[in-house]
Amino acid sequence: MSVGLRRGLATLSCRLLQAVLPPSLQSWGWAVRYEAASIQDDTKALLFTLDSLSGLLPRAIAAHLLHPFAEGSITMSLLDTTIRRPRALGVLCAIGAALLGIVYMVIAGAPLRYLGINIGALGIGLSMLGMVGHVATAGCRRADAAIVTMAGALLATALLGAEVNGAARWVNLAGLAVQPSLILLPVLLVAFARTRSASATTGIVIAAAAMALQPDRAMAGMLALCVAILTVTRRDRHTVIAFAAGVVGFAATLMRADTLPAAPYVDQILYSSFDVHTGAGLAVWGGAALMLVPGIVGFSRDPDNRTVYAAFGVAWFAAIVAAALGNYPTPVVGYGGSAIIGYVVSLFALPKLTGGSVPMGGRTEDLADRSPSDLDLFVALA
Amino acid sequence: MAVLLDVGSQWSHGYELVRLAGVKSGTLYPLLIRLEAQGFLEAEWQAPTESGRPPRHAYRLTASGVQLARANPPEQAATPVSHHGRATI
Repeated sequence: MSVGLRRGLATLSCRLLQAVLPPSLQSWGWAVRYEAASIQDDTKALLFTLDSLSGLLPRAIAAHLLHPFAEGSITMSLLDTTIRRPRALGVLCAIGAALLGIVYMVIAGAPLRYLGINIGALGIGLSMLGMVGHVATAGCRRADAAIVTMAGALLATALLGAEVNGAARWVNLAGLAVQPSLILLPVLLVAFARTRSASATTGIVIAAAAMALQPDRAMAGMLALCVAILTVTRRDRHTVIAFAAGVVGFAATLMRADTLPAAPYVDQILYSSFDVHTGAGLAVWGGAALMLVPGIVGFSRDPDNRTVYAAFGVAWFAAIVAAALGNYPTPVVGYGGSAIIGYVVSLFALPKLTGGSVPMGGRTEDLADRSPSDLDLFVALA
Repeated sequence: MAVLLDVGSQWSHGYELVRLAGVKSGTLYPLLIRLEAQGFLEAEWQAPTESGRPPRHAYRLTASGVQLARANPPEQAATPVSHHGRATI
């Protein structure tokens, strides 16, 4: 073994030791490293470091195992890092919820095609998020334009979309029936939480009308509940108008009979999954709970953006409640790619870092705000 | 501890203790960590004597460490060790 290699291995052993030692013992890692550096003979230096590593490694492992959540431990650092990144946390929750949904469908004996579609939708959502994930914050004007565009798309679906039993909620894309409201409405609502303007409010009014026309009681309820929460947190003229539109839209859906039957593996699975198997029920409920985690964690840890997290959490909570109360799709954990794409894409409206982003409520725009990617995303969605 | 007791108030380094006590560094460092945690050993970083060399961690017994070492002398017959680190029979 060459001299350089022995010295290199000694250095590598020291670095490995430093990597595994808990913070309270880091000075000992440096002690070994510097002591080894003072040994002239490379072989003796290598043996010294290897002996030190083998002697201290069990102690380091024991420290991590005994205090997995102690401050400064690797586990705690990873947990803390994830919690500080709401969007990354949301991606993990989306993946977890979608996988739990697949566990449910496998236990329930759903067709293999359903699993593939859900996985494919997750991939599409993550790709869309990944393409624009580097953009810090959407500018107000562009966000307003995007909100109006998405609302227009929802209205177009109500007027021109595929109709089933009197409800026009779907658009046929490449042989698949996509529900645009499940993709666009959560994004639209979370984006509205980050801005306040006449044009954004107009977008909400159009969206409320679209939900009333489709009609879609679940999505109209999502809109009304979400805007109601915003009205509580920031009672300005725009939000109050949006709230009024949401309430009227939701009331309109209540006055029309919803005769759509429950679709297997899509609707009513929050309760029926337990009839299939306890594991299936736990997977569905666990996945549904996981969807709310980014909103709850962000709300509790990032006071500057509480409105955004509240809108996100309430939007998806409303979708889950609607699925529990009527024949409406169970988002992410049930069969259906629209909700999976919608959930992942709505993460885009969450701040990348807790406490580190600028809310869109202000009128200032910086260079990042003017990135064309935001508009591209929203227009592409619409 | 006997080695540290022998050197008195002088500071010792890790490799030096390995050679004098005839133990492996993997045995020595866990012992030093435990002794320091219990207050029997004090450690300090010493500036390098030559430029370009890293600082070194040095050790010596505290007053309570000295008392402990004196109260527990090494059992020569049980663990006879030569200066070369080889057990004698």
